[in-house]
Amino acid sequence: MNFGQFLLRRLFLMVIVLFGVACIVFFIANVIPADPVGAILGGNAPPEAVDRLKAKLGYDQPLAIRFVNFITGAVRGDFGVSLKTSNPVMKDIMNYFPATMELALVAIIISIFLGITLGILSAVHRNKAIDQFSRVFSILGVSMPVFWIGLLLLLVFYFKLGWLPGSGRLGFFTNPPPRVTGMYLIDSIIAGQWDTFKEALMHILLPAFVLGYNATASIARITRASMLDVLRQDYIRTAKSKGLRKNVVIYRHALRNSLIPTVTIIGLVFGGLLEGAVLTETVFSWPGLGRYITTGMLFLDYPAIMGGTLYIALIYSIANLIVDILYALLDPRMRM
Amino acid sequence: MSILSDSDRRKIDSILFCSNFVITLYVGKGGARMKRSFILISLMVLLVAAMGFAATPKDTLVIGANTGIFITMDPAVAYEVFPNKIVAAIYAQLVKLEAIDGVIVPVPDIAESWEISDDGLTYTFNIRKGVKFSNGDALTAEDVLFSLKRPVVLESVSAWFLVDIFGINKDNVDEKIKQIDDYTVSITLNAPYAENITLGILSNMFTGIVNKDVVLEHEVDGDLGGAWLTDHSAGAGPYVLVQWERNNVILLEANPNYYGEQPPLKRIMIRDIPEASNQRLLLERGDIDVAWDLTPQLLEEAKRNPDIVEVKVPGHSNEYLAMNATWGPLANPKVREAVRFSINYEEIVEDIMLNNALLVQGFINKGYFGYVEENPFYQDIEKAKALLAEAGYPDGFEVELLTSNTDTRKAEAEKIQADLALSGIKANIVIMQSSQMYAKYRAQGHQMIIAGWGNDYPDPDNLAMAHANYRAKQLAWRNAWFDDYAATLCEWGQIEPNPDKREQIYKDLTEYWFHNGPFAMLYQTVEFWGIRKEVKNFEEAAFGYGMLFDFTKVSK
Repeated sequence: MNFGQFLLRRLFLMVIVLFGVACIVFFIANVIPADPVGAILGGNAPPEAVDRLKAKLGYDQPLAIRFVNFITGAVRGDFGVSLKTSNPVMKDIMNYFPATMELALVAIIISIFLGITLGILSAVHRNKAIDQFSRVFSILGVSMPVFWIGLLLLLVFYFKLGWLPGSGRLGFFTNPPPRVTGMYLIDSIIAGQWDTFKEALMHILLPAFVLGYNATASIARITRASMLDVLRQDYIRTAKSKGLRKNVVIYRHALRNSLIPTVTIIGLVFGGLLEGAVLTETVFSWPGLGRYITTGMLFLDYPAIMGGTLYIALIYSIANLIVDILYALLDPRMRM
Repeated sequence: MSILSDSDRRKIDSILFCSNFVITLYVGKGGARMKRSFILISLMVLLVAAMGFAATPKDTLVIGANTGIFITMDPAVAYEVFPNKIVAAIYAQLVKLEAIDGVIVPVPDIAESWEISDDGLTYTFNIRKGVKFSNGDALTAEDVLFSLKRPVVLESVSAWFLVDIFGINKDNVDEKIKQIDDYTVSITLNAPYAENITLGILSNMFTGIVNKDVVLEHEVDGDLGGAWLTDHSAGAGPYVLVQWERNNVILLEANPNYYGEQPPLKRIMIRDIPEASNQRLLLERGDIDVAWDLTPQLLEEAKRNPDIVEVKVPGHSNEYLAMNATWGPLANPKVREAVRFSINYEEIVEDIMLNNALLVQGFINKGYFGYVEENPFYQDIEKAKALLAEAGYPDGFEVELLTSNTDTRKAEAEKIQADLALSGIKANIVIMQSSQMYAKYRAQGHQMIIAGWGNDYPDPDNLAMAHANYRAKQLAWRNAWFDDYAATLCEWGQIEPNPDKREQIYKDLTEYWFHNGPFAMLYQTVEFWGIRKEVKNFEEAAFGYGMLFDFTKVSK
């Protein structure tokens, strides 16, 4: 199989996965015993008003027809019109996604730095205080709910210490930078607004840390395990015995090799970050796609929920596709 | 299909390419030195972060609220409680609501005065001259006519008042709502409703007056400017909508062309803070002036801070236990009376609602014309047992108690179940998702139900029709209480022009309903906020919340 065939096969699989996601999203949204019309009008609305709105929204049509409409629309990037915002869902997604993407990117950067640092330190100082700390830190990271740790950190760093701001992407009285990417950190650099950049950075630290905490913990544990494994290898003993400084051995010889599984993990946790954004954005008042989907859920805004979920699935699939293609380019055997 | 396996070393080698990137970034050439500087940089970042956060500006009220409920700012369409109060700050109306001596009444806004025809059907409104929209355009009868017709033509959900009560619909709207001259409009109703009802309904936000020319400039596909008005404003109210980023911020600024006095606050900023706990933190730190959605527990905690004040006003909803008056033992009025004497109402208000509720047993809310200040029911198990024996159920009976799946409702159901058990009535609780519960309720398929009723205009008529007139097909009908005496009183009260007589009618109706109706009213809801102590007159502004909130009264 040549590369072109491999690519085709991958694209085909991606389409199947997305179709599967679309089916699940559609049927979950439509078989749960909830009534969007009732949600809009309230429980005490007269039945005539209920029927009028049902017809207006197309909910009087059979499920199969609605499904076909949904799929054909989704293929064209048209997820319909949000019941709540009256905007095309795609327009809303484009509006909210940059905030989520920015949060996820900063979260992954924080996780990589923090996770690898902790992993190395605990491997090098195995069973010492730093290792124990890292262990507790990691267990908390994978076991504590995001909203709880989020509120706890807000209580400490915002409420008690006043070091970091308490909500949102910027101060209440700061104007966002001119929109280019929709990501404030990047847009403020483009516009040369350094104060805005600093403010955006302060605002993103806590939510990004919380969002990435779980990922940090996984990265730290994986790095530690593989570092320990590598440190036992013969070539490390050789390096040490030929008189190299300890740091050179650790950072240049051991770290490079031990990071391989870590990189794999980083790819995998990125999907989790997009997903975790739903809760983090609520706790930190972050106006992103996660919050858009949550408010859509409370309103039973099915076009928004289905469109938003499908879009996240698409981004995740694309990320995976890129990784697969990279692997394939690097290692021809992957195309088998 | 797994991409990588740890055993496959050569496969892993290919990823070294990627990991090099990370290493180069992270370690560089002098690994340890770089790490040290990384830690130093982190520390510096934290130090920079330790900066002060200023209090909110004196002329700006910053509100922290969950704005997830905000759908549109179009007065013809907006229907939710809080969004409607923002819309009310943007748009002037013919008449608006105001709380006078603790009673919510309609008062003139841009209608200076009005005449009612002898048959009570036609209201002619004289519009104040010299009123301007926020952009400086003069407000005339043409704008009023356009604005009143708009919700009807758009078949807006919130215009059901006009359609279902006043009988004004798409087909007859041109005859029913007319422009007489540049400063006069008339509205013709299908029945001679009492003035307080008509004006109460007209004070709903769907009558907010929009600038016809501006709105039509932005019309798309015959939507009468609906899409544009979703997040823009073209009104003559005290404030102008200058910014709305959904799930982020809503910003109002004082309207320089407002016909009335300029409000003390130049700006109202509503920040979207979905988490109530976070609202509390921001409030105590002084980043927001008002926390809109605190839970009772959070408010209790925040109140310990001397800078935080609690504000409570009566709400517009009630919570009730209703009994299907055609089902088994409940068909007997004595059994229903026994149920009413079995419940410990105080404990529900204190223990379940943590005093965020008012003990009101009539169907007319406190704060309304016609409110009856009498609560005849209390827990008296002996009396309840005696009534049950009289009715032929000395050993009680078994009944299904339906309610929806909120924590409050579940707690109420358990409490009532325990209270009824004291009288020998065995209630089996059935919890349903709200929409399912209402479907069963509408079909009269329940035996007993705990539910609530939200009100639409501040007149006893609205409540009487729901709770006592089965012909209105609302709550009395759902509970199969086909009582013609009560229904007739309701219909009389609706058209009686003399306010004193009306008051007496509702008093008589309440008295009759107490002991014959299918309800045990549990409480009236209360609205509450946590505010900073610098915020002045918030309670005056908030009295009547649900129906009204007057931002022009608040100052700092």
